[in-house]
Amino acid sequence: MASSDTNQTPNAFQAFLGNWRQNIIYIGFVAIFLIFAFTLNDKGFLNPNNLLNIVRQTAMIAVMAIAMTFVLSAGEIDLSVGAVAGLASVTVAMAISFAGPVAGIFAGLATGIAIGMFNGWLTTKVGIPSFLTTLAMMGIAKGIAMWVSDTSAVPILSQDYAWWFGGGSIGPIPVLLFWMLILGVIGQVVLRRTSFGRRVLATGGGEQAASYSGINTAKIKFRVLVISSTAAALAGMLYAGRLQSGRFQLGEGDELSVIAAAVLGGTSLFGGKGTVIGTIVGALMIGLINNGLILMGLEFSQQLIARGGIIILAVALSQKRS
Amino acid sequence: MSAVAVRMTGISKNFGGVRALENVDFEVMAGEVHALLGGNGAGKSTILKVLNGVHEPSAGTIEVAGVPLTTHTPEASRAAGIAMNYQEMSLIPTLTVAQNVFLTREAMSGGLINDKEAERKAAELFAMLEVDVDPRAIVGDLGAGQKQLTEIVKAISQDARILVLDEPSTALAVSDVDRLFTFLRKLKAQGVAIIYVSHRMDEIARIADRATILRDGKHVTTANIADLPIDLMIEHIVGKRSLGLADVKRSDAVRGEIALELRNVSGRNKPDNVSLTIHKGEVVGLAGLLGSGRTSLAKLIAGIEPVASGEILIKGKPVHIRRTGDAIAAGVALVPEARATQGIIPTHSVADNMTLAVLDDLSKAGFVNAAKVRATTDAQIERLSIKTASRDHAVSTLSGGNQQKVVIGKWLAADLDVLVLDEPTAGIDIGSKSEIIKLVRDLAAGGKAILMISSELSELLTACDRIVVMADGRAYDDFPRAALDDPTDTNTDTAHRLQIAEKNLQIAIQEALTPGQEVSHGQQ
Repeated sequence: MASSDTNQTPNAFQAFLGNWRQNIIYIGFVAIFLIFAFTLNDKGFLNPNNLLNIVRQTAMIAVMAIAMTFVLSAGEIDLSVGAVAGLASVTVAMAISFAGPVAGIFAGLATGIAIGMFNGWLTTKVGIPSFLTTLAMMGIAKGIAMWVSDTSAVPILSQDYAWWFGGGSIGPIPVLLFWMLILGVIGQVVLRRTSFGRRVLATGGGEQAASYSGINTAKIKFRVLVISSTAAALAGMLYAGRLQSGRFQLGEGDELSVIAAAVLGGTSLFGGKGTVIGTIVGALMIGLINNGLILMGLEFSQQLIARGGIIILAVALSQKRS
Repeated sequence: MSAVAVRMTGISKNFGGVRALENVDFEVMAGEVHALLGGNGAGKSTILKVLNGVHEPSAGTIEVAGVPLTTHTPEASRAAGIAMNYQEMSLIPTLTVAQNVFLTREAMSGGLINDKEAERKAAELFAMLEVDVDPRAIVGDLGAGQKQLTEIVKAISQDARILVLDEPSTALAVSDVDRLFTFLRKLKAQGVAIIYVSHRMDEIARIADRATILRDGKHVTTANIADLPIDLMIEHIVGKRSLGLADVKRSDAVRGEIALELRNVSGRNKPDNVSLTIHKGEVVGLAGLLGSGRTSLAKLIAGIEPVASGEILIKGKPVHIRRTGDAIAAGVALVPEARATQGIIPTHSVADNMTLAVLDDLSKAGFVNAAKVRATTDAQIERLSIKTASRDHAVSTLSGGNQQKVVIGKWLAADLDVLVLDEPTAGIDIGSKSEIIKLVRDLAAGGKAILMISSELSELLTACDRIVVMADGRAYDDFPRAALDDPTDTNTDTAHRLQIAEKNLQIAIQEALTPGQEVSHGQQ
């Protein structure tokens, strides 16, 4: 909230600590980073390449989580993001092979927009809760992706596309980092500084009061669901570029990491409260944990257990006690 | 007379420094319907909550059938045989009538629930009480009247000997009320003590045997209904109240052009064929009981409920209001009844709440201008003297009165011509109440047209230039405020004059409930 943007005053640091539950994500991020830095230094944790790898692995989650922050802030949820990313990776790859990279970009984004509009229509006009609409859409999107690709990977031969969308780097800095940062800045500004962002927060914070104040809350919900699907499609395009192919498995299961990133960052599952910066740090923290656990030499099964435990701990600490 | 069912002696209840009940005696006999009467804040609901075990009395004793009640919890009260009817709230709509009646006490056979047995027992119970409800029906499919009967039967089946009914007829059609009364007489004959709370004095005259009247947390009188003609009841209820409203100055409004005009406006259910005009500079009050259609009318004007027929004109021009945005664009704002859910977003800051309706005016190319938000918020905080630690504090940290000012400020910032206020002083302390009433007068003096709903008649009488009485969705009388004063009375004491006017308005409200019939002035 407001306290986190006012770091100039001498008391800001004290206020930051006083609000520690709200800022647990930042404290936790630093703490985990420091722990890994000391314990895993000999295994190359602090190696710049390793740190950039964390960014590469987290960028797609972060892109989807930025949009998810809007969805959750409006009091809705989108469970279809992972499957939409997979579908978009396939449509973009197929369109590139037929008609080139520009057509591919259009096809990928159109996939996201179309699914988002359908989700939004079902949620706001037909009146099915977004939890169910997007749960059903998760299966539909995955099914379509499997069907059109015949369950096989679709290669992307355009090197330009692969460079821009996830594969390239400028010097040592991966292009993915720029995608994450640029979309993060846009997301933060839109949520905090535009009338649309205010209306999103108002819709989730008190739908009736918002509607009584003249806000068309159905329109707001429709829009956040379109934004979420579009961002999911973009994440799928980044996956496709990085791996130079589209496949239906890309993004599978990401919805849980995406929602976890947003909630870890301080966005409320019940609406009305959201922060894009927190979400990005939340996504990075999940990436950090994954990376650290791998470097520790844990088996995949152990990683899953440890990651789940850390997320539960962080969210539990951030809850207000009544 | 039969045995005493409940005897409450010397009951006092303090909330912090506020004394809600002061040394009240209340006694109900087995086999009687006892009406409990009083205006808003008289202490009716407090004494019922004490009886119910929700509140512990600060002083006094409760005896149920001669046995003192020592623990004050809802469980203890229920065990003692006291049941409160919570207007359908204890019924689960997706279960059947029988399943509801025996919820947590299901008939079992072989460790499994036996619904057939429950239905048989329920049918028996209904037959005995002569209630016509199908035990196999799903509660959600029942009408309001049948739900109410089910609720009462459920309480009776749990051996309730004292039944508390709080405004039981509000949601009922006339035929359902008749059925309810027949049923209550039956229960009475079986020795059940019934405490009946209602603002409808015609009903009380029909069903009650005795009445107890409370005012300002004190016991005023207990008498047989035969000795309490309606005008005497009203006199006891109104009494001389120390409201702190008397010092609100009333000057005659300077009426401007017509701001809002309703022509034969009806909603889907309520209101029913209402015509009304409000001029700029004028405060028009809507008086009436719960369910009279006042709130529906307000919602319809604000675009929350649809207009079924009729015409709404703003400044002489017909407008089509389909959603709140249309109403706001046409210049109408609603300060809604349920402040916490409809008025404010509690966890958001004062500034965010205050600017919610004017975001577009404070934005350029979609970007909210933070400086303008601060200026707008500060202007309203200053204008309405809102007490808040800062504009960035969550609205939930403010007092009720200041929260309401934030809602009003939200609409003042939008600078609309017509303000509809639905119970603007509900849940607000007395000091803030008179502040809000003063504010309403000031806004009218500044040229706004105001429609105000309040269940506190003294507030309507203080704030309004005209008062329209509503009942059953229809608008009845339209009194200029002065018409409610007694012209022959030369007493200049404002509190006294307010009391007379309140009594006259009460009589008008009761008369509207039974059109064509005069309220009896004297012995029945």
